[in-house]
Amino acid sequence: MQQEAILLGSEAVAHGVRLCRPEVISAYPITPQTHIIETLSEMVDDGELTSRFIKVESEMSAIAAVLGAVSAGSRSFTASSSQGLAMMHELLHWYAGARLPLVLVNANRALGAPWNIWSDQSDSFSQRDTGWLQIYCETSQEALDTIIIAYRASELLMLPIMVMIDGFILSHTMERLLVPDQEMVDDFLPPYQAPYKLDPDKPLTFGAAAQPDLFYELKKTMSATMLEAGPLLKECERSFAAIFDRAYEPVIHCPEGDEKADTALICCGATTGTAREAVKRLRQENIAIDLFKMRLLRPFPQTELIAALEGKKRIIILNRALSYGVGGTLSQELRAALYNLDRRPVINDVIISLGGREVFPETIMDIVKRRKELSPTASNWL
Amino acid sequence: MSTLEIAQFKHISAIHNRDFNGLPISSTSTAVNLTGSWKFFRPKMAEKGSPCQSACPLRIPIAGYLRQLAEQNPAAALETLREINPLPAVTGRVCPHFCEAACNRLEFDEAVKIGDLERWLGDFGLDRPHRFAPAPETDLKVAVVGAGPAGLAAAVFLARRGVAVEIFERGQEAGGLLASAIPAYRLPRDILRNELDNLLSSYPAITLHCDRNIDPGELTALAKEFAAIILATGLPESIIPAAWQDNPRVIGALKLLATINRGMEIEGDRFTVVGGGNAALDAARSLLRRGKKVEIVYRRTLAEMPAYEEEKEQARAEGITIHQETVVGGLENRGENLQLTLCRAQKENGGIVAGEVLRREDCDILVVAIGQQAADGYLQAKLPETILRAGDFAHGAATVAEALASGRKAAAQVWSRLNDCPVPSETGEPLGIADFTRVHPDYFHPRPAVRPNLLPARERRAGFAEIRTGLSPAETCREAERCFSCGTCTTCGICWFFCPEVAIAIAPDAGSDNGKVLFDYDHCKGCGQCAAICPRGVIEMEEDL
Ligand SMILES: Cc1cc2nc3c(=O)[nH]c(=O)nc-3n(C[C@H](O)[C@H](O)[C@H](O)COP(=O)(O)OP(=O)(O)OC[C@H]3O[C@@H](n4cnc5c(N)ncnc54)[C@H](O)[C@@H]3O)c2cc1C
Repeated sequence: MQQEAILLGSEAVAHGVRLCRPEVISAYPITPQTHIIETLSEMVDDGELTSRFIKVESEMSAIAAVLGAVSAGSRSFTASSSQGLAMMHELLHWYAGARLPLVLVNANRALGAPWNIWSDQSDSFSQRDTGWLQIYCETSQEALDTIIIAYRASELLMLPIMVMIDGFILSHTMERLLVPDQEMVDDFLPPYQAPYKLDPDKPLTFGAAAQPDLFYELKKTMSATMLEAGPLLKECERSFAAIFDRAYEPVIHCPEGDEKADTALICCGATTGTAREAVKRLRQENIAIDLFKMRLLRPFPQTELIAALEGKKRIIILNRALSYGVGGTLSQELRAALYNLDRRPVINDVIISLGGREVFPETIMDIVKRRKELSPTASNWL
Repeated sequence: MSTLEIAQFKHISAIHNRDFNGLPISSTSTAVNLTGSWKFFRPKMAEKGSPCQSACPLRIPIAGYLRQLAEQNPAAALETLREINPLPAVTGRVCPHFCEAACNRLEFDEAVKIGDLERWLGDFGLDRPHRFAPAPETDLKVAVVGAGPAGLAAAVFLARRGVAVEIFERGQEAGGLLASAIPAYRLPRDILRNELDNLLSSYPAITLHCDRNIDPGELTALAKEFAAIILATGLPESIIPAAWQDNPRVIGALKLLATINRGMEIEGDRFTVVGGGNAALDAARSLLRRGKKVEIVYRRTLAEMPAYEEEKEQARAEGITIHQETVVGGLENRGENLQLTLCRAQKENGGIVAGEVLRREDCDILVVAIGQQAADGYLQAKLPETILRAGDFAHGAATVAEALASGRKAAAQVWSRLNDCPVPSETGEPLGIADFTRVHPDYFHPRPAVRPNLLPARERRAGFAEIRTGLSPAETCREAERCFSCGTCTTCGICWFFCPEVAIAIAPDAGSDNGKVLFDYDHCKGCGQCAAICPRGVIEMEEDL
């Protein structure tokens, strides 16, 4: 059974988490993530959720607390955003290196200075080398579902997964969606059985010093595991679809797009929703454009992307995160991946929004119409 | 349950087949990595005295016995307390509680009500004989003159060392001023008697001879019979100005109080008490309870009165008028009456003299409470140096706690002299004081102190019932829990929790000294976190040489 509901994005996330029955939750409030843990803390208070909710004084402590809890074999949850995620940075590396599972929800937000609380993907994009899987969601339904899928995948991989929602655009808006019932989720997600954990009766040493040769070997294994992570995630998504009737893939082709078009727009996160509208309207004006959404950023879905973009002559990438001195971060990722194509398309790197600057369908339509004028090398600013 | 095929994934299935190769996990112990070799500093246990203990004339290990009380082990708490203070039911009631004024909790919320806890424990011990480690019997015999708190303490601490003690008391009973001066509404007679009886019967080595006045002239003979003599004769006489000494309508406060305490009748209806100390207030309030009209005349201001604040407040609530900055300039016997000339107090040459006449007033009896002095013979006596003094007689009019401490010290000195050894100490010398800067208030919760009830003033005036009610066992436990245990390790385990090197063990036999917290110096890196977070300021860092 799945219950129809109208929920805020942050509430949808909280319900997704609740359904996964985490034993420990620890997080520090930060806009626009705060609603998520507020809702969870109320659930714990009401007894709806029997988790230990650990209050902490910083994001650093939050991630450290769940690191401890998961080391001891408990399924755990944390959430953050922007400066908070940046504060966790050191332990994000440690976490993945420790080979422990976790789901962290990040509500994308800009990093200062200057002070800005609005949507921007720079916070998570700048954590892409920490060894975490990264999944970007377009809707609150997708976020709720992805949390459930992510716990399943994470606990098989023994690697942590970061699930992104765009701050405010998703976190603070209402959406009609389906909330599955507990039984369905329990069917999909078995309780966490830690293959190894802190146990005084069976002592193990975790993350102790490794000499250079050993370190190199451990990282090689982790990297190889990451390469298995993409296909594994697909397995999880397939299995999820079978039960819940909602399908997800690493790279999603949007039906609004025209498959035959030789120009494709590529988005990441909630911008996709606006792009769907733009592409629909462009079609009415007889401009054919295809549309793809990058759901998975790490591991990078190279094979799926190449297959999806086969035959395209122009790729327009709408970035909400910037690597200074290079260009849109997503564009860099795609450029590198598409280098292997026999016939490489023109790539237009567009910085569509930073710090929550509003993106309207017209904004995207205008870019498409001016596509011939866009620079194929330099970043294109509005 | 949905199934997922993971066999196709080599690295993933390896983990779930418990092949941990390639994971940063090891089953080898890190114990071989002696991180302790990195340290320059090492933690050590350095239990300290608490401010309350250092403020206490007796140096009672207050934190220690309050902890035992909080742990609902009153029998152990009683042992801890009585090891140092042989009369807790008394001091719990009458001591001004120097400890409470020094309590670290004053800077946090309010002081722990140590006095009320001591009283409860003292009462708990009234029918429990003193227990003490038996010392090998000696053939030493010591004489103690005076059975006030100083003499009794001297006797107890000698008896515990196996010395036979004979106490010579000129009065009919033991207790000194406790029995003869301090009124029953502050120290009920049955409580005092029970505590004294229990004490004396607990130590068969002590023999008490009552109605046995020792004249200074007798001391030389006594010195031949006994290995040592301790004089604890107190200051039993009220000082009375020469001009008034022979006046039959003038009485010293001590004599008046002794009469009242013995339950004897007092002649006269209207009384004026001169003085501002405890004796003045005790006399006035006792008279009030005997249905007399009474007022106090004091030469300085109310604030300057040396009597305890609580007593002043209670006396005024009971309706006693205190004339401040007033002196008795003269008195004249007129038939049945005594006419007082009351004058404004005037400062002159550092003293206070009678100034302008305020009024003349009749009374039946004038009670003088302006000071105490030694008994006649002892006032001038030149005593041999080998005789030790203790209590008020040694240090001047003070308090019960100071008298007890002084008696205990005299016993130690006698012991040291007789055995030619260093002066022993029951309390030891603390390594420092855990003042408020050393405790971590973050680890404690504010909680108001218990509030013992006071009998309403109207009921108080009607008789000699005890004013302050005692605590219930539950209140006692809760109040004792408020103690921070400053400077004492309670094996709370905060250091164990924070130690990043798992180099701290909390000993199972908590309470054994030194053994409460054990440091594994092979692995302790000397980071100092344990010392920084110790809630009670016990752990300290020292250079690791
Ligand atoms: C009215 C009053 C109220 C007080 N209230 C308090 C109070 O609330 N709290 C507090 O802490 N302190 C109080 N004190 C002070 C306290 O009582 C004394 O400091 C304390 O009792 C001194 O003890 P001590 O053993 O030195 O002398 P004492 O208690 O005076 O005992 C001396 C004993 O020696 C005996 N003695 C004297 N001469 C001889 C002799 N020649 N031969 C044999 N025996 C002799 C006496 O009979 C007496 O029993 C008060 C004092 C007074 C006067």
